[in-house]
Amino acid sequence: MIGKLVMSDLLKMRRTGIWWVVWIGALGLTGMQALNFGLRYDYLVRDVYADDPWRGLISSNAMFVPIAIYLAMTLLMSMIANIEHKQNAWKQTLALPVRRSQVFASKFICSFIQLLAACVILSVSTGVLGLLLQLQGPIPYLELLTFGFYPMLASLPMLGMMLWMTLSVRNQAIPITLGIAASLISMFGAVLPDQIPIAWPSLVVRGESTFTLIGLGIAIFAALYLLGSIHFSRKDVA
Amino acid sequence: MTNFMIETRNLTKKYKGTSAVNALNLSIPQGEIYGFLGPNGAGKTTTIRMLLGLIKPDSGLVRMFDQDLKKDRISILRRVGSLVEYPSYYGHLNAIENLETIRSILNVDKIRIDEVLHTVGLTKDAKRPVKGYSLGMKQRLGIASALLGSPELLILDEPTNGLDPSGILEIRELIKQMPKQQGITVLVSSHLLSEVEQMASSVGIINEGKMIFQDSMPNLQRQAGSEIHISLSQPEAAMIIAREQGCFPRLHQDQLIFKGIDNGQIARLVAALVDARHSIYRVEERRKSLEQLFMTMTANANSAERSIVEAPRGAGLRKEVAQ
Repeated sequence: MIGKLVMSDLLKMRRTGIWWVVWIGALGLTGMQALNFGLRYDYLVRDVYADDPWRGLISSNAMFVPIAIYLAMTLLMSMIANIEHKQNAWKQTLALPVRRSQVFASKFICSFIQLLAACVILSVSTGVLGLLLQLQGPIPYLELLTFGFYPMLASLPMLGMMLWMTLSVRNQAIPITLGIAASLISMFGAVLPDQIPIAWPSLVVRGESTFTLIGLGIAIFAALYLLGSIHFSRKDVA
Repeated sequence: MTNFMIETRNLTKKYKGTSAVNALNLSIPQGEIYGFLGPNGAGKTTTIRMLLGLIKPDSGLVRMFDQDLKKDRISILRRVGSLVEYPSYYGHLNAIENLETIRSILNVDKIRIDEVLHTVGLTKDAKRPVKGYSLGMKQRLGIASALLGSPELLILDEPTNGLDPSGILEIRELIKQMPKQQGITVLVSSHLLSEVEQMASSVGIINEGKMIFQDSMPNLQRQAGSEIHISLSQPEAAMIIAREQGCFPRLHQDQLIFKGIDNGQIARLVAALVDARHSIYRVEERRKSLEQLFMTMTANANSAERSIVEAPRGAGLRKEVAQ
C-alpha cells in the first residue's frame, strides 16, 4: 500500500516544479564552485589547495551544504504539503481506504527520495567539475559521495519538524519562515553550542564527531516523526 | 435488523462547548437516495465528515455495512465514494492524472478511468489541466472520483452547490440513475427542499445538530402540508358553500385557503362552486417552503416538550403555532 501511495504522491508532484528545486539546488552549489574555481583557478588549485585539490573542491562546496539542505527541506516539504492544502484535497485523500500513518509516511518518503536525489546530483556534478578542472590526484569517491549525504542525515531533525508542521498547518508561511530562519542560523554553526541540532550539519561538514551527530540526528528525527505521525493520524480534517 | 447502509447512534460532535451534531440517529436503507436536508450550519457537513472518518465523534457510534467505522474504517471506505462540499482536485494535473492518483490507491482497473469520465461526460476535456475547468466540470470530476472505486455507497455533500441550472439538472439526473443502474445507495445533502424533493426517496432533516424528521419522501410531503389556494369571485359567499361541503377554509387576500383536503374533496368543492356561479380564476397547490416547514417542525418539537409539562394547553399551542 505504501508503494502505491508513494507512486500516487509522485504523480501529484508532476508539473509543480518540485524537481526543479532538487536540480537547481544541487547544481547551483556546484555551479558556484565552478565559478569560484574557474575564476581563481591558479590561486586555488596551484596555491591554496595545491597538495590536495580534490579535497579543496569538496570542502569549498561542502561549506554551503548545510544552508542548502535546510532550505531544501523547507521548500520541498512545503511544496509537497501545499499540493494537498491548495484545493483542500486532504478530505479526498484521507477519505480513501488508507491509513493516515501511511499517508504521512508516503509524504516523508517522497521528500527523502528528493533529498537523496539532490545528494546524488551534488556528488556527480562535483565529480564532473573536478574532472573538467583536471584536478590532480586520485578521485576521492567516498568523500564525494558523503559530503552531501552525511550532513543531510545530521539535518534530519529539521525534516521531522517540517514534515509535522507543513502537513498539519494550512498556512505555509509559518513553517517556511521558521525553515528559512533556521537555515540562516545554520550558517553560524561554528559559533553555536554543539548541543543545538541546527549546528550539527556544519559540524559534520568539518568532520567533527560525524557519526555521533548522524546517530543523534536520526534519533531526534525518529521521535519527531512519531509525534507528527500520531498527531496527523488523530487530527480532524477540515 | 433491516439492512441499513448507514446507521448512527447518538452521534455527537462538540466544537468549543456547542454541539455541532447532537445525538444524531441516522438510518439509511439500502438502494435509496437519501436526502440529508438542513439549513447552513445545521451539522450536515460535520455529520458527513464523521461518516468518512475525517473527524472523530465525541461520542456515539457509526455503523456502515454493518461494520463499526472505528474498527473497520479501511474496509468500509473501500466501498464508499465521497464528495465533500466544494470539489477537491489537483489543478496542475489533467482529469486523467487526477483520477490516476486515486486509482493507484484503490487498485482498480485503468479502464475505470475512461468509464467514469464517460459517465460524467468529461471525456472530451480529459487532457486539459483541471484548473481551467468550470465549477460544474470540477464538480463532475469530483463525482467521477467518487465513482472510480465502483462504490456501493455514494456520499455527496451539497453536490449542486454553486452550479447553474443546467449543471444542477445534469448532476441531478446523474444521481437519480445511480440506484437504478448500479444499485448504489446515495446519501446526498442539501439545504434546498426542492432539490432533495426531486431526487430523494427518503429524507432526513437536521436542525441545530438534531435530527427533527426522518422518513420517506411521501411522508415528508404529507408533513409539509400543502395548501390549496382557490381564487374566485365573491369569496365570502364561497366560504359558506365550502362549509356546506365540509371544508373549512380561511380567507386571505380574496383567496380561499384549504389545508389538508384530498383530491375528491377538491373536485366536489370546485363542482359546487361552479354550480353556484362563482368564477374560478385559479386553483393552485402551494407547498410550504423548507423554512416554514422547519418552523413548524421545531415548533412542534418544542410544544411537544412543553405539552408534557402543561398537557391541557399543549394541544392549543400547537394549533396556534401551526396556524
